[in-house]
Amino acid sequence: MTLHSIDKSVSRAGRSRRLNASFVITVFAGSVLALLVFLALFADWISPYDPLQQNLIDAMQGPSAVHWLGTDDLGRDVLSRLIHGCRIAVIAAAEATSIALILGVPLGLFIGYRGGWWDWIVMRLVEAVVSIPGIMVAIVIIAILGTGLHRAMIALGILFSTSFLRLARGVVLAEREEVYVRSARVVGASDSRILLRHIFPNIAPPLIVQITLTVGAVLLAEAGLSFIGLGVQPPNASWGTMLNSAASYMDLDWFLAVPPGIAIIATVLSVNLLGDVIRDAIGRGIAVKVKPETPAARFDAVVPAASTAGATLPEREDDVLRVEGLQVMISSRDGEEVPVITDLSLGIAKGETLGLVGESGSGKTLTGLSILGLIGAGGRTTHGSIMLNGKELRSLTERQMEQVRGNEVAMVFQDPTTSLNPAFTVGNQIAEVLRTKKGFSQKDAWDRVIELIDRVGIPRPEERAKAYPHELSGGMAQRIAIARALSCNPSLLIADEPTTALDVTVQQEILDLFRDLQDEFGMAILFVTHDLAVAADICDRISVMYAGEVVEMAEVDGLFSAPRHPYTRGLLSAMPHASDRNPPLPTIRGSVPRPGSWPAGCRFSNRCDFRTGSCDQRIPLAGTERLVRCVRAGELEREGAR
Amino acid sequence: MSDRPLLEITDLWVTYWARSNFGLRRKPFHAVRGANLSVRPGETLGLVGESGSGKSSIANTVLGLVPPTSGSVRFGDDELAEMKTRYPSAVRNQIQAVFQDPFSSLNPSMTVEDILTEPLRVHTTMNRDERRARAVELLKLVSLSEEHLGRHPHQFSGGQRQRIAIASALALEPKLIVLDEPVSALDVSTQNQIINLLYERRDASGIAYLLIAHDLALVHHISDRIAVMYLGHIVEEGPSDRVYKSPAHPYTKALLDAVPLLDPEAQRKRRAARRAAPAQEASRVAATGCPYRNRCTSAMSRCQTEMPSAYPIDGGGTANCFLFADNGNVDAMRKRAVP
Repeated sequence: MTLHSIDKSVSRAGRSRRLNASFVITVFAGSVLALLVFLALFADWISPYDPLQQNLIDAMQGPSAVHWLGTDDLGRDVLSRLIHGCRIAVIAAAEATSIALILGVPLGLFIGYRGGWWDWIVMRLVEAVVSIPGIMVAIVIIAILGTGLHRAMIALGILFSTSFLRLARGVVLAEREEVYVRSARVVGASDSRILLRHIFPNIAPPLIVQITLTVGAVLLAEAGLSFIGLGVQPPNASWGTMLNSAASYMDLDWFLAVPPGIAIIATVLSVNLLGDVIRDAIGRGIAVKVKPETPAARFDAVVPAASTAGATLPEREDDVLRVEGLQVMISSRDGEEVPVITDLSLGIAKGETLGLVGESGSGKTLTGLSILGLIGAGGRTTHGSIMLNGKELRSLTERQMEQVRGNEVAMVFQDPTTSLNPAFTVGNQIAEVLRTKKGFSQKDAWDRVIELIDRVGIPRPEERAKAYPHELSGGMAQRIAIARALSCNPSLLIADEPTTALDVTVQQEILDLFRDLQDEFGMAILFVTHDLAVAADICDRISVMYAGEVVEMAEVDGLFSAPRHPYTRGLLSAMPHASDRNPPLPTIRGSVPRPGSWPAGCRFSNRCDFRTGSCDQRIPLAGTERLVRCVRAGELEREGAR
Repeated sequence: MSDRPLLEITDLWVTYWARSNFGLRRKPFHAVRGANLSVRPGETLGLVGESGSGKSSIANTVLGLVPPTSGSVRFGDDELAEMKTRYPSAVRNQIQAVFQDPFSSLNPSMTVEDILTEPLRVHTTMNRDERRARAVELLKLVSLSEEHLGRHPHQFSGGQRQRIAIASALALEPKLIVLDEPVSALDVSTQNQIINLLYERRDASGIAYLLIAHDLALVHHISDRIAVMYLGHIVEEGPSDRVYKSPAHPYTKALLDAVPLLDPEAQRKRRAARRAAPAQEASRVAATGCPYRNRCTSAMSRCQTEMPSAYPIDGGGTANCFLFADNGNVDAMRKRAVP
């Protein structure tokens, strides 16, 4: 418990540090830019001297009480010139960036949405422009328009509009395929309305980043153009012209380059930092960082230290996998650790199929991944043991786990078209496993590949082994994924929704294949699914999960003929073929709570019709052969029998 | 329910052109091959099929998202096929849709109020307050409340988002809503809430639904009639109970047999029976004749060359299968009926 609280305080401290850092950055960048604008507006009143007033007697003096930043080659006050340079910088950045924005974004939106010839022609032009060095393009445009600040900024605006154009086009190309655009079209919104009202707001985050980058780049480019004499014309003061004259007198007075240099660096840095902060602030809830509507129960009170309470899993001699008291935590975005699996125990015997059934967010997929040690960044197993063939997997090193994966445990995923690598033939992908894990030679591996592909029921295996994943149908690809999983003859196969992406007639074939292969190879299968009917077909025993814990575990026949937990009963009666045609169909009220917002006590209590006062306490998983996590399980069972 | 169909699709073909050989040659892909369908006012037609059967293409054609290649799509007195994808406002506001994935069908940058009032902005002259009042009304219809107006889609669960999508589809009081897999992305425990909501709205307002789904058991629940699609063809059509309880076409039978049951014992018996049956030919798409013949257990020689037309079935509806050829030809009767 102490360890737990230390962990907590550490994570809290970490969070406040991060918060402070981003706050400090915002304040720093904001004040630099505010100062810049302030100086630009009031340059005439603030600057101690006229920036153009020459005094050749006092030329090139270092900083002094009279001239804080010294004087330049013509004896002009550097501080005054720097302050007047702010005005040029603000005008330049605003002018060029708005020109780029106004030219680039609408055109990009238009060609991205319209596509076809418009898109082709504009994009070729853009490619031509960006293939020439930017400064060259600017010089050409200035050669046509003539020199001077505003003309230079028009040149820069045209130049930078290409990056806005490409950004807007890219985002529109992606967004116009989104379902919400189809919805807008069905509603009857016109093309321009779809573009401006529906798609455009979603461009904002990348656009803001692009604007800040462009402002930075414009400041640098203005300095560069003025430096080579194409921008602001002497004697007017800009940071670029100041650098220009500083460069001429490098040997005599190096300090001249320092004030404009620091001004440019500080401004560009501030703009970029502020852009990042703004983008993060308006980012469109991608991480789904939502405060739960009901206050989350404090977790410390909810979880028993280990599986102290409740019945332990019945010991069985032929268990291949035995998980006890497993607890998995995931760190959420604000740095707090949230439990996603608690007190989870299960065992699978040789040749047995255990179904792990639950809805989204129940932790069933994560259970499979934590057995493989593949929870990923941000998650960790905090309690419990995972024994595979008598070996504690949690104590293995990452290297040893690599040996276990593939050899002793293998996995089949939901979507076969994405779980296979599109760059290699399917035969190669299976052969690779055999070579690395089993040390097969090239030839032996290939022979075995053909055998395996034949075994999973694919006709003409020699030919199909040379196919790429996209050339196969979903069912075929899943057969290949299964062949790959079985290539090293694992003792445990974890199948995560392996038929969910398939059509029912194909699903039936794949389920048959699992049965056949299990009869032949004798592996244990952990079958993760949300579909109770599929579980009824394929499983010997079933664990029903809800909100990170097992609520009921039973033999398949017993579970379906007499479900004991109210959640299991609710799920079964909600299945489409379970009820009659007449509405209303039976429902479970509310929705599955997200991790972090589970009710204290029984986690199903806020949706349960059988709730009593004692449901506010932690309920242990109880029973001998059948395990149920419900205080009223006995009562409900008698009631069901009547 | 009047007898005159609200939506009548006759001999509809939808063809996509896939680029191949570096874009030099384009290959046609016929997603829908001569489909006939009708939906009466206030009726729910379930359109069932596996992936690639063309059911979503029909939905997209009705919604004006994809132009039909040939055939007729008549809605009320309007011929939609002639309009291609440019429906006038008076047609557009009569046909709305609810899509499968509530996570991507709501614009992430809009608030619930924006989403619900968008159809009103496009099609009505309501002012801001009237629109807002209507949005609140709509939220209540789908058991959400006024406090949800200012929130963004990512603040809701999948079930709640689907409620918002339904509310938005109801905004213009359409005559037809196309439901494209409306619950298949939802948790089992929230699916029925949405189905009940759809029922409730239909009974209250007399909307017709064209329900696209892959799950026959689910479609059977909500639909008055069911049409089954296979590779772009409609192979069977009829009253919901008849199709579900005594399917005629061998494909419908296979589809129903493949849906797993909640009873493990029954499932074991089924598996044993399936194992006893001879294995089917692997090549599935038939180039000529009946499209299903290569997978069919009762294929005859006639199926190799001839395309079966729609034959009437006892208990209502039709099946495109020569097993029922003795029942007479519906296509021929229909052709005679249309002058």
